[in-house]
Amino acid sequence: MRKILTKLRSRMAVNIICAIILLLAVFGVIVSAIGYVSFTNSFKQEYSTSTYHMADTAAMRVNGDHLAAYLDGEEEEEYLQTKEYLDAYCKKMSVSLIYVILVDTSDYGRFVSVFNPVDNTVDNSEYVEWELGHKRDTTNEEYRQKYRALYEKKALYETVYRTNPTDGQHPHITTMVPVTDSAGDVAAILCVQRPVRELDEARDAYLLHIAISTFLLAVAVTVSIALYIRKQVVIPVKKASDEAARFARENTKGEELGAISKFEEISNLASSIDTMETDMVQYMENLTALAAEKERIGTELALATRIQLGMLPNIFPPFPERHEFSLYASMDPAKEVGGDFYDFFLIDDNHLCLVMADVSGKGVPAALFMMASKIILQSCAMLGRSAAEILTKTNEAICSNNQQEMFVTVWLGILEISTGKLTAANAGHEYPALKRADGRFELIKGRHGLVIGGMEGMQYKDYELQLEPGAKLFLYTDGVPEATDAEGKMFGTERMLGILNTESDAAPEKILRNMRAAVDGFVKDAEQFDDLTMLCIEYRGQAGGIDHAE
Amino acid sequence: MKIDQIKNGAELTIALEGRLDTTTAPELEKILKETLDGVTMLTLDLADLAYLSSAGLRVLLSTQKTMAKQGEMKVRHVNGIVMDIFEVTGFSDILTIE
Repeated sequence: MRKILTKLRSRMAVNIICAIILLLAVFGVIVSAIGYVSFTNSFKQEYSTSTYHMADTAAMRVNGDHLAAYLDGEEEEEYLQTKEYLDAYCKKMSVSLIYVILVDTSDYGRFVSVFNPVDNTVDNSEYVEWELGHKRDTTNEEYRQKYRALYEKKALYETVYRTNPTDGQHPHITTMVPVTDSAGDVAAILCVQRPVRELDEARDAYLLHIAISTFLLAVAVTVSIALYIRKQVVIPVKKASDEAARFARENTKGEELGAISKFEEISNLASSIDTMETDMVQYMENLTALAAEKERIGTELALATRIQLGMLPNIFPPFPERHEFSLYASMDPAKEVGGDFYDFFLIDDNHLCLVMADVSGKGVPAALFMMASKIILQSCAMLGRSAAEILTKTNEAICSNNQQEMFVTVWLGILEISTGKLTAANAGHEYPALKRADGRFELIKGRHGLVIGGMEGMQYKDYELQLEPGAKLFLYTDGVPEATDAEGKMFGTERMLGILNTESDAAPEKILRNMRAAVDGFVKDAEQFDDLTMLCIEYRGQAGGIDHAE
Repeated sequence: MKIDQIKNGAELTIALEGRLDTTTAPELEKILKETLDGVTMLTLDLADLAYLSSAGLRVLLSTQKTMAKQGEMKVRHVNGIVMDIFEVTGFSDILTIE
């Protein structure tokens, strides 16, 4: 029950209608009160005027000159005639009492009655007729003042209202007029007492009329306002709110709300909802298109990643028939495609070329540049030149067409498999780490040239290393030493050498896995910022029989 | 990355502070593109440069090439970390380092 009430109270139409009903009720009460007062006043006015005419008519039939004589028992015939007339008049006019009295003008406190017709049937009263000469005191101050006003000719007539008598009498009015003698002086006062039952009856009927008409007006106004509000406000607002709710649920364009109300505010709301829906649907379509586009790019990038990885030798062991060396390499781009690469290939049966390179920048531009570099390097290498010559040639080729001023750092080494002699050249790349047969991993700070693509006409120089059976060479890109943790601290070459030396006898694949795990452990939650590329080769010599327990 | 410029006629000094990497290099590249016109003497002060990536090196390289055509470029106050990078990449051979 309380729930229903709360729900009703929150309804706009219910609130508005309740307010209107309340307002009309107040209006009805005010109208009734005003009607009551003005009706009572005009009724009283009308009633006293008509009663005055009755009294005045009666007074004209009373001979003011003979009143004292009547009291002395003289002019009896005339007195009886007058009395008979007044009795008949009293009955005919439906008044309760008529009395003609001589008031003691010293203080108006007493009077003597001359005529007193009574008609108890009019108001169901029990008055007893005063005899001729009946004396009485006037105790009521209002009567005394009014008698005085008439005797002193200050008023044409006077009226005393007893609309709510407290002494058990019925409501009545008493209108008094002067009886004058032939000299024009006031000789006596004639009073007519008339019941005012009609006042109550007429007033009740009048009030009932007001009440009924106000009620009908209230109902009519309420219903029409309610209908109007329902049509122009409640239904439009509900439509708008339903539409908004539907849109939130379904996210599809609905029917246009259009001009749903006369009121500008509500129509504006509706057109705002229409506009919002159109815009939102458009926005969602754009977003969907954008998502599809993004997915397409994503698919292409994934494909590019596969192509890039496919370009690098990625089947291990790469040369199952060669027992003189064991080799493992890995590349993890920071983005879908990377600029790092490793490469290795046999130039001839006795010469293995090893490449580790890093293109400036990242992503698709770096990947494109990397592909070109890789192909040029390999092409030059296959011509049987020395490491330095390969780099010099490659630099020439790249510098001739390098508008974007990209560059690549390259370490390139050619291993003579039969002897373990390694000829290498370095174009701005990180120093490789070498572990000699019985030693620890150390950085080999060989001769250095500028990065490839940096400047035309660079001449690179070879340097040589002798690998004994059991020696290992670790090649990497700056992604390893420059891996950065959340606090901006770098992994560094010292830490890298430390990791290499903790398990320096392990096979190349294991060494790379250890390094990867160490870098991941160091970086933790920080995003991988640079490509991470590594290669490790173990030279076993001609015997090549030493197998690792992998 | 903080980039301070002091221009004195045809002489421009740029002091770099922070990390010059993939994220900040384009910013330096843009500034250099706008201000290098008419500069015959460019000095890069790297005293407070904490790190230099290949993207940063690329900007240095292209600036070096531009300046070689219109004047001179010097790099000064190179700290240990950056010097290592210059040496490893061979940049120490082509840059005028004071």
